Amino acid sequence: MKVSLFITCLSDAIYPRVGEAMVRLLARYGVQLEFPTVQTCCGQPAFNSGYWDDARKTATTLIEAFEDSDFVIAPSGSCIGMIHHYPKLFEKDAVMLERANRLQAKSYEFTQFLVKVLGITDVGATFPHKVTYHPSCHGSRLLGVKEEPIALMNKVKGLELVPLPFAEDCCGFGGTFAVKMADISGAMVTEKVDHVLETEAEVLVGLDMACMMNIAGNLRYRDKPVRVMHLAELLYEGVK
Amino acid sequence: MSTASTKPSTVKERAGLALNDEFLRKAVKFTTERLRSGKKTASEEHGNWDDWRERGRQIRLHTIAHLDYYLNLFADNARANGVNVHFAETDVEAVKIALAIAERKQAKSIVKSKSMVTEELHLNHALEKIGVEAIETDLGEYIIQLAGETPSHIIIPAIHKNRYQIADLLSAEAGETLAPDTQILAGFVRKKLREKFLEADIGMTGCNFAIAETGSMVLFENEGNARMVSTVPKTQITLMGMERIIPSFEDLEVMATLLPRSATGQKLTVYMSGITGPRRTEDADGPDEMHIIIVDNGRSNQLGDPEFQELLNCIRCGACLNACPVYRHIGGHAYGGTYSGPIGAVLTPALKKDESQWDDIANASSLCGACYEACPVKIPLHDMLVYLRRRKVESGNGNLAEKVGMKGFSTLLGGSKRMRGVIRLGQLGQKLVERDGGIRIKLGPLKGWNTYRVTPSLPKQSFRDRWSTIQRETQAEGAVLDPALKARMEAVVAERKQGGGSKHGGHA
Amino acid sequence: MADTHKEWLKELETASKAKQKSFIDSISSKLGRPRPMEKPAHPFRGAPDFWRSFEWSEEERIERFSANFKAAGGHVARLASYDDAKQFIVDKAAEMSAQYIIRQGQPELEAMNLEAAMPDAHISVWNTNQEENWRARAAEADFGVVVADYAVAYTGSITVLSAANKGRSVSLLPTVLFAIIPLKRLKTRLGEALINFDQAGRENLPAGIHFISGPSRSADIENDLTIGVHGPGVVYALFVG
Repeated sequence: MKVSLFITCLSDAIYPRVGEAMVRLLARYGVQLEFPTVQTCCGQPAFNSGYWDDARKTATTLIEAFEDSDFVIAPSGSCIGMIHHYPKLFEKDAVMLERANRLQAKSYEFTQFLVKVLGITDVGATFPHKVTYHPSCHGSRLLGVKEEPIALMNKVKGLELVPLPFAEDCCGFGGTFAVKMADISGAMVTEKVDHVLETEAEVLVGLDMACMMNIAGNLRYRDKPVRVMHLAELLYEGVK
Repeated sequence: MSTASTKPSTVKERAGLALNDEFLRKAVKFTTERLRSGKKTASEEHGNWDDWRERGRQIRLHTIAHLDYYLNLFADNARANGVNVHFAETDVEAVKIALAIAERKQAKSIVKSKSMVTEELHLNHALEKIGVEAIETDLGEYIIQLAGETPSHIIIPAIHKNRYQIADLLSAEAGETLAPDTQILAGFVRKKLREKFLEADIGMTGCNFAIAETGSMVLFENEGNARMVSTVPKTQITLMGMERIIPSFEDLEVMATLLPRSATGQKLTVYMSGITGPRRTEDADGPDEMHIIIVDNGRSNQLGDPEFQELLNCIRCGACLNACPVYRHIGGHAYGGTYSGPIGAVLTPALKKDESQWDDIANASSLCGACYEACPVKIPLHDMLVYLRRRKVESGNGNLAEKVGMKGFSTLLGGSKRMRGVIRLGQLGQKLVERDGGIRIKLGPLKGWNTYRVTPSLPKQSFRDRWSTIQRETQAEGAVLDPALKARMEAVVAERKQGGGSKHGGHA
Repeated sequence: MADTHKEWLKELETASKAKQKSFIDSISSKLGRPRPMEKPAHPFRGAPDFWRSFEWSEEERIERFSANFKAAGGHVARLASYDDAKQFIVDKAAEMSAQYIIRQGQPELEAMNLEAAMPDAHISVWNTNQEENWRARAAEADFGVVVADYAVAYTGSITVLSAANKGRSVSLLPTVLFAIIPLKRLKTRLGEALINFDQAGRENLPAGIHFISGPSRSADIENDLTIGVHGPGVVYALFVG
């Protein structure tokens, strides 16, 4: 059984502790993640902007990296969501299409794997804090990840989950959108942070570091001390 | 032509103006929140919403896939009912036909109910040029007509106007000061337009749905003005997008279930009217003469295109506008076309075959998918935006700097060694600008981002750097894999080999 | 004058029929196959199957219709007979100082004989002669009185069909609308009313089929709801039977 980690660019370069939390958490169950080092990026920035030839280059590297895996797990709904676009990306290449379909079938967002595949909702964590949750767009809308993180948080001892107003609204990241349409993106993240502050939560938790980085950036800019974490980090901290 | 130096020509520029307009943002936010919460309540109360959406989608897909059959059937049936049916490939043709009828009837005034197609054609303007007064009778449309503006929302056209602005506009029209009170203002409009309805030579409508099997046209409204313009004047002209067809009245039940709930949260609009031909000889009201102008204007470009044919499913409910966070912040006018919001962002370029005419409208989206989730007929607008971006790039109309950047991206991130190198560079380079774990400089690519955020600094060690340590430590812990967990994983792999369970995502 | 206009329309029709052919052929060509000459199979016609068996009892229908209609700003009353309905209207006329009334020429309304109960009021009966300007009569009326052809409980809607003796203007132009609904005509689902039109077939449909679900309204000014914009601002649904 080969269970592989797809680390994603953001977690690799900026938030390695998220990937580390995932590995250590699963290791406690004897699920030893392996890390094919040839992996790079899912290709989302190029794909979303319409540069599909460029996207195919990085996508090919990723398909190759996980050719032998039985499960591919990432701490990001949008990167796994991008893998779901690979069949479309390679629709004109029969050989690559078949490989893309196979990769899609075995790729999971972290909580999907934990809850749906392993059937684990209670990791035995304690985290006595007021927490609010932002459901990232790609994870929730495109992958259908809705109950899994809630199920996990409900089993964390001491965790008080407060609902985030208009939680399903996009945080404004959108990859290159945040750069190309910076002011619109800025307005969206400002609104998202206003809602976070309304909850008076100590911690904002999410499943996608792109969103978390975006929201954390605005919180920091406004000098607000809300702690921003990936759910994997929260759970691991809760069991350490 | 205008001295265009001060008039913003990109969505980005117009959006910038809109973002600074406090009132507009408040108004748009208030309205869209109200409408989408209405939709949520109404759809939950009705239940099985996704089954209904799928049904609506199937009916529309079927009709569009057989559009030649159904449109032909509709036209033949409408003619048999006594309607004068016309076909217009372009906006110019459609306007020509409408003007010819107006001139023939020596019309001095036309009363209009809401029709986005007529906005697309800029028909009012053309009529005015030949001396025909075209009066909008929908309250919101009437208001913006007086202001000389275009609608900023498909369903609530004057959402960007406050009651004081409206009171000023109506007072000027009334020749006396009207208080900024909704009842008073609406009361004035009712009285004023009542005269217009009764005097007008021609009534002009849009068409929500055309029923192919009977040649009928269906109108949804709340005010009663569409009924007015199709009952009182002696001549009726209806403008209809060629794709606005369903086979039968039975199918109408599905549309009537989806449209009002999606648009405003109502179970049904106050008035739903099925008009089958001009008045019967024995009727004492209804038009003597009825015309339907079927308009293409780029819609047929989507036919046979697997990426865009579904765009023709649209029933113009506006739910995507109400769900879109971008729309909520910039309002409808920033989109710069007849149609705004997510549907506008796709439709405006899609109706124009020539990519060199496309502006940056498809970039005004974070691809969050809220529009797809809201759409009662499941149009994957978020995917279509990416296809539009790709077409623009592949037709050679993309942004050169971006193209170079993407080449760099695919080269640098095409291999793990190079990626490692990039991260290393970042870790070193940031020392110049990093402070307390954050980067705040507002220069170059970080300018836009750091106007609203602090960029996190790169940690000393990337995940790759840490991997061997992490692996060693976790292996040393030696936890044993529970057979139950192993069994679960093996079951999933087995099911997968048999071809099942591959679509474990929510996306169709 | 009329003849040249007829000729002109005929010319347009000829041109339009030719245009229709090229329009439709172009669609077939874009769809990549020849034009279907037979009706295509439509497996998803109408509402989903689970919906078709959904039905409320008569009492529930009345209750739900009333709740929906009132929520939209309409009024509902349940009356035993047409006589009681007549009295209801007479009382309302006194209350609202209504002087001008227009009613359809439907047999139930003939029998109801509002005229006898209100000898001092101006009561017009739709289309009883050729010379009258019926639209103007309807426009000046305080009250419009119709008997509904169908009613739908799920959406709180009344359906009226046009005919020689049933003007579309009667339910549209007056300030107040009274729609008498014989209980037997109250259905649960919208589809139960709509199916009749498919079944009747093109040639048997009236020019105007109108579903009315409350008083005319708009929220175009700052989202503030206002009632009675162009259509009747006050609507009474009177159940009889």
